[in-house]
Amino acid sequence: MSTVSGGTRALPAALADAWLSLRARRRRLLLGAGGIALAAAMLSAAITIASGLGGGFNRGVKAADLGDLIVRFNPESAGEVSQRLAALPDVASFSLRTEFTDTTLVNGSHRVSGASAEILDSGSRHGYAVTAGHQISGSAQQVLMEPALASALHVHVGGRVLIAGLGYVRVAGLAEGPDDVGYPLAAGRFYMTSAALVATIQAVVKRRHERVPRGISFRVNFAEVWLHNSRYIDQVLVQARAESFGLRDVQFATRGGVRVLVDQAAGIIIDLLVALSAIALVTAAVMLAASARAEVQRRLRSIGIRRAVGATRGQVVLTQVIEASLVAVPAATLGTLAGWALINGPDDRLLELLNEPGPGAALVAPLLAGWLVTVALPVAGAAWPAWTAAGRAVIALLRGADMHPARNRRGWRRRPGRDGGQPDSNRTAAPLGGGAGGGLATLGARLVLARRARLAATVSMLAVSTAFVLLMIALAGALSAIETDPQVLGKHYQLTASAPPSMAGEIAKLPGVQAAEPRYDARAVDGYDLGDIVDVVAYGRDHTRFEAPPLASGSRYRGNDEAEVGVGLANALGLSLGSQLLLELPSGKQLSLRVSGTVSSLDFDGLVAYVPAAALLAADPAASSQVAVLLDPHASPTRVTAELNQLGVGPKATEGATARGAPLVAVLKTILRAVAVLDGLVCVYALVQACALIMQERRRTVAVLRACGAGAGSVRRLLSGSVLTLLAPATVIGIVLERFVFGPALSNLAASYAALDLSPTGLEVGATVLGLALSGALAVFWVTRGALREPVVTGLAG
Amino acid sequence: MAVLDARGLVKTVGQGRGARRVLDGLDLSVDAGDVVAVLGRSGSGKSTLLHLLGGLDAADGGRITISGEQLTDRSSRAVSRIRLRHIGFVFQQFQLIEELSGRENVLVPTRLPGAPGGGARRAMELIDELGLSAVAEHRPHELSGGEQQRFAIARALVNEPELILADEPTGSLDGTSGATVLALLANMPNRAVVIVTHEPEAAAIADRVFALKDGVLVASEIEPRR
Repeated sequence: MSTVSGGTRALPAALADAWLSLRARRRRLLLGAGGIALAAAMLSAAITIASGLGGGFNRGVKAADLGDLIVRFNPESAGEVSQRLAALPDVASFSLRTEFTDTTLVNGSHRVSGASAEILDSGSRHGYAVTAGHQISGSAQQVLMEPALASALHVHVGGRVLIAGLGYVRVAGLAEGPDDVGYPLAAGRFYMTSAALVATIQAVVKRRHERVPRGISFRVNFAEVWLHNSRYIDQVLVQARAESFGLRDVQFATRGGVRVLVDQAAGIIIDLLVALSAIALVTAAVMLAASARAEVQRRLRSIGIRRAVGATRGQVVLTQVIEASLVAVPAATLGTLAGWALINGPDDRLLELLNEPGPGAALVAPLLAGWLVTVALPVAGAAWPAWTAAGRAVIALLRGADMHPARNRRGWRRRPGRDGGQPDSNRTAAPLGGGAGGGLATLGARLVLARRARLAATVSMLAVSTAFVLLMIALAGALSAIETDPQVLGKHYQLTASAPPSMAGEIAKLPGVQAAEPRYDARAVDGYDLGDIVDVVAYGRDHTRFEAPPLASGSRYRGNDEAEVGVGLANALGLSLGSQLLLELPSGKQLSLRVSGTVSSLDFDGLVAYVPAAALLAADPAASSQVAVLLDPHASPTRVTAELNQLGVGPKATEGATARGAPLVAVLKTILRAVAVLDGLVCVYALVQACALIMQERRRTVAVLRACGAGAGSVRRLLSGSVLTLLAPATVIGIVLERFVFGPALSNLAASYAALDLSPTGLEVGATVLGLALSGALAVFWVTRGALREPVVTGLAG
Repeated sequence: MAVLDARGLVKTVGQGRGARRVLDGLDLSVDAGDVVAVLGRSGSGKSTLLHLLGGLDAADGGRITISGEQLTDRSSRAVSRIRLRHIGFVFQQFQLIEELSGRENVLVPTRLPGAPGGGARRAMELIDELGLSAVAEHRPHELSGGEQQRFAIARALVNEPELILADEPTGSLDGTSGATVLALLANMPNRAVVIVTHEPEAAAIADRVFALKDGVLVASEIEPRR
């Protein structure tokens, strides 16, 4: 009973003690809270992105009940297709659709062309999730629409949209199908029942006062198949390929195949964010633990008094825990909410682009776990030194002895002055330094150097943070380049002219033009019946002068029987160096070439083949062509464009990544910027906290200097020396880390898509160094201001 | 002209009902070559007086002049400059900077912006004079209490201030070391020295001895040296 009542009494007492202590050091409190909030924000941002992207596909699959196998083929009667699908082993159910591409949707002044109408023919499972509104059924003239498509059309659930050539339909709801990425990365999709389509067509005919047809039916070109057991997908696929006899242009896609593509891209972003948040968390934890240790050191006497009057070790720790909790709980809450709010918008947009649902309420548990970590770490960091201190002899505490007395290093006990020996040069302190300012800055450096473990930890954290900031800046630059600079994609020509190949010579003679060459382009399908569409590009002579996407393996093609293929195509068709590339061209003829090399290309998702023009034209003489125009290094594109216009050949500037990828790049850049800002703030916090710690631990030293006549400038010099000691090595290590570790590592990860040079430019390094210097100056100024507010006598008292 | 001239000093410590006026119109004038000792019970305000005289704390009322320069009602920057040029402190706890050797501790005031030139030379001379050459490169924790206090005195003297303020200078020393330190403080020609202490031995080296009582200085019963 007495223990219980004692414990009950101890809590309010500890609360009161903690509250008083917090009130007495509001400024340091603010700094500590800032660190916790930053770490929480970083962690919460990482959790939001990781939960969003990491589980997005699975959530999408679950919500949409996505089939195990998706089959596209040329239109066939539903009965014929049903018969073949029913013959497949382990099939639980299937649904059929008719997919009409190139549909135009209009809502007022908003128009989207190239949309895909998914007409639901049979089956009760559809492979999409209704995220707003309601499911469609029967002949009501209603559609379900992808959220991004609805946004682009500015139409809401319940609103009406015009299907060009058909008439108005009502938007019954929004639906996400995870089997493909969303609009505008892919064609926007809307869903409609076949009965609704028939009703719409009949209404149109009726409006035109024509005879209303009866018994309209559509041939289907899309099937989604659900298996009893997904593990048998490979066997079913083999069987399906065999059963596809009679269906033309069959393309298969498995759920696993879609997942691999999405996970690859998401994995890079998640890894980056998790690494960054770990750094922020460690930074804050180390700094706060050091701060707590310094605070406990300062309070040793008061702890000793409490112990002397009967407080238990647990009660001392309880006060410290409550005090840390009073700071950590609100700070971590604010930080967690801020991180979530900062990143949730771009994350939702990213998921919308990927046609994946957000985590919703499922995000609460990981965010709560992150919040707990950000509360627990500083609380534990504060409790541990208090526990250690409270365990010491009360008399030692009352004397205010150091928590960890200076180690009696070997040889230091010897008193050369007393026994007549000479001082050991290894034991003597290093000289104070040159001039007045230099001397104080050197002293500042030595104050930092005296805490070697913390120096190493702080420098490491600053270095890694610097490297990440540089990486983010370089990555954002590289993404912009992908968007705007065709050279990143290996395109060296600046203009194309809609001119016949025979005009290439004439164009080449224009002023400012270095070279002009016919560029042939054809869309082929793979010859292995896998249904992949391949972009075939051909040049008459050496194509590398005009277009040279980075070589991933092998060599450039040399003879007319060789080809270079995109990594995406090589992966899709299982091609390796030396294997035979088989393509079916629009002419109906086949093109068979030996693979001499693979190239990294973002164009057409890497489903691209570079072939000799002679080989392409032999198989498809009607292949479309343009003239690629390479300009002189200092030529004006505007002037050459004007010259080409005069020739009447419709010049066009070469584009970077396809316009469809632009929204994705924009979202990624937003996320990177947000992360870079958070990371930069972590750097600033680490510096301010490091300075504050120096001031906290060395308040007596600063007070002595002030008693000797040092003013604000001298204290700033002292702190500048400390900050420089932290920043100089951190900056160098950070630049080296980014240049030789992080940059190349990320470039390698992205090598399949594009040649990303993530080496920071001089300007980027300069901007980062300037940012760090400004952060350091801010830290020095802020902390000095606070330190000078303390009366000298208070500092002298320790 | 007096090196130190304090008139009507008033200082209240604490707040509300706990407020206590520790200095209540105190006057003190010290000439060059004078050693003044201020005695008093613990909590009588001795240290507070010393802090006010050194510009480490601000008085609630009154005026302090050091070597003709007014210390009260000046900016923090100006007070720092006066301390640098005219005042040297000696503390009970020595207050040496742990990261620096004894010599470097002595050099610290000479490296501050605005310090008079020739500091390095004076520092070496002082270290020699005080018999600290053999341990000049040692860090504070390798030194005895007496050695630490002698380095602290050297640091107080290195910028050749006219006024030395010593707060319980022998409070942390054994008898022998304390006597050495007192002897040093007693023999500082052309400097005004104010020692606050509760030890009669320390007061015995003074030219004038005061007791701090009810916020003002009164003549002490302890006889001065002369």
